[in-house]
Amino acid sequence: MVGAPHPFDSVLVANRGEIAVRVLRAASEAGLRGVAVYSDPDEGALHVEVADEAVHLPGETLGETYLNSEAIIQAAKNSGAQAIHPGYGFLSERADFARMVVAAGLVWIGPPAESIETMGDKISARRRMIDSGVPVIPGEELAISEDADHLGTLAAAAARVGYPLLIKASAGGGGKGMRAVHEPRMLRTEYEAAAREASAAFGDGTVYVERLLTGARHVEIQVLCDSYGNAIHLNERDCSLQRRHQKVLEEAPSPAVTPLIRAAMGETAVQAAQSVDYEGVGTVEFLLSSRGDFFFLEMNTRLQVEHPITELTTGIDLVQKQFEVASGMKLAIQQDEVGLFGHAIEARIYAEDASKGFLPAIGKLAMWRPPSTPGVRFDSGFREGDEVTVDFDPMLAKLIVHAPSRKAALRRLDTALSDFVALGVTTNVGFLRQVAAEPAFTNGEVTTDYLDSTSLSTFSEPKPEDAILVAIAAAASRFGLDRTAGSASVTDFDEHSGHSGDPFRTLTRSFP
Amino acid sequence: MMEWSVGESAKKYSPTLVDIDGKYTLNRLTEDGSEKIISKITITKDDNSRRLIIEHNGTIQYAYATRVGDQWWIHYDGRINVVNMHEAGSKGSDADEGGLTAPMPGTILEVQVKQGQRVREGQTLLVMEAMKMEHRILAPNAGEVITVNFEAGDRVDMGVTLIELGD
Repeated sequence: MVGAPHPFDSVLVANRGEIAVRVLRAASEAGLRGVAVYSDPDEGALHVEVADEAVHLPGETLGETYLNSEAIIQAAKNSGAQAIHPGYGFLSERADFARMVVAAGLVWIGPPAESIETMGDKISARRRMIDSGVPVIPGEELAISEDADHLGTLAAAAARVGYPLLIKASAGGGGKGMRAVHEPRMLRTEYEAAAREASAAFGDGTVYVERLLTGARHVEIQVLCDSYGNAIHLNERDCSLQRRHQKVLEEAPSPAVTPLIRAAMGETAVQAAQSVDYEGVGTVEFLLSSRGDFFFLEMNTRLQVEHPITELTTGIDLVQKQFEVASGMKLAIQQDEVGLFGHAIEARIYAEDASKGFLPAIGKLAMWRPPSTPGVRFDSGFREGDEVTVDFDPMLAKLIVHAPSRKAALRRLDTALSDFVALGVTTNVGFLRQVAAEPAFTNGEVTTDYLDSTSLSTFSEPKPEDAILVAIAAAASRFGLDRTAGSASVTDFDEHSGHSGDPFRTLTRSFP
Repeated sequence: MMEWSVGESAKKYSPTLVDIDGKYTLNRLTEDGSEKIISKITITKDDNSRRLIIEHNGTIQYAYATRVGDQWWIHYDGRINVVNMHEAGSKGSDADEGGLTAPMPGTILEVQVKQGQRVREGQTLLVMEAMKMEHRILAPNAGEVITVNFEAGDRVDMGVTLIELGD
């Protein structure tokens, strides 16, 4: 950041888990001092370990800790941090927090508070898009407040919009506070669930309805803007493979996007970003119909979970770009210099049991060996021995592969997932392998309703013979692996060679 | 003497392993007391590592195994499976009869049934929140609600019986 108009030499990351680790490592690479914050359950977490300094946030609830604006700004001041990076989730899309950071004389690594505000409210975002000529989802717009005769108003609007429809909490996101309603008799139940989820997760119970487009794809454009009005896009990501609006697999480029659609969608996304005087990195989400039309869904005014697939296919480090833009530097790259190299796929590893309706799982990561082969990136906030609790989001890691072609990326993904040893906590790794191998996905035909409308038995995993598993467990017991777990025995050496480890043994491995 | 079961299955296995120079061969296997025909499986421990080497049908594969409580978690052939250890002669199934338990620690949001009420299969009995997402507890079969143990707002631990259903 040499010669930047507003340079800073230290950054506090107001987040936890994999994204805090990612940003703190980027800070270190940029020569910045990284400051972490943590609550009690995160004492000794990986993001605390990788930081140069860590500030404890006392309290039990998220409101007292990671969502506590005052405490976080105070932590920045006490630690001498000059800038705050919010990561994603938590305070990242709170306009009031962005304002408080700036008012405290700190650099806010994110878009202006006004951009967050306009895009953060789905109704105002929709109005701004209509005014700016950005296509929006067909249907009727409606705001419902809790105090009025909300059910009557809702039912009338729902009848006008037509079923199936989507109830969305204005302040929702990440699948929370969003419910599909397929018939009128489910309206009340689903509305109440959406309102509850939204108020539990975001402290705002306002909802609205819109037509549910079926058979469409979720395609989003990464934008990058500086504070001088320059804006470019970094191509699309396809996040059509979703379960109840939670993304499962994401890829770049989209198998459904032609260069023509990419150019049009990219231009529209830049237009959307400029209509709110955007700065930094952001994502404009679209629904892409089977006919190639696209409609604005929402803009995420922060770094996305799935940002690595854009980084791998463009070669641009988005977190470094955030630092540069926040320090007042101009974009040093033109639209026509943005490349598109190969194909990247991200798999979100969740602690959940796919065979039991995706019930969140907890436990200790007794063994945790991420794959490490060429073309594999693994972003995680967990290490072996860490405890997975109900305190936080169940995402354990992101496994991202990059290869010259989509076909090669799919093979690489399957290999990486099958090499991933995660024992002690039930994960969706096996489910991901099955989903990624389904013809619907390998042929690039998945639409946003695919997972929710496909029987889960389609994705049930093949199992090895019981006899083999029982023999392994019994032998592991006899070998005393339960007693020596965690450390290799030093007395274990090869009797013939006298060395530990027989170099020839690995050569006998056969490949199926 | 240990018995073993795989995943959620109730089948109980008793393996007999023969130790030849630190290499275990599965010699016999009974499934719920009756003899099973098995192909040759031998297992050695990889020196200086936590891997096991599995020879089966002329191929060699590697496995990782780690014990958590009474479970062996096994990574083998790209898949993760759990094998449970049981003391021989222990009760066949620990499935609770009629009781519906909390799948996760969380908070009860809404109880949709009352004691004495008849419910149909698949009916929502209770809604709870765990890890910021809602989960519906559904009736596994038609029946009568015998007891409702919690009300909205209560925090519950994993495994506690929420509702008991009778015929």
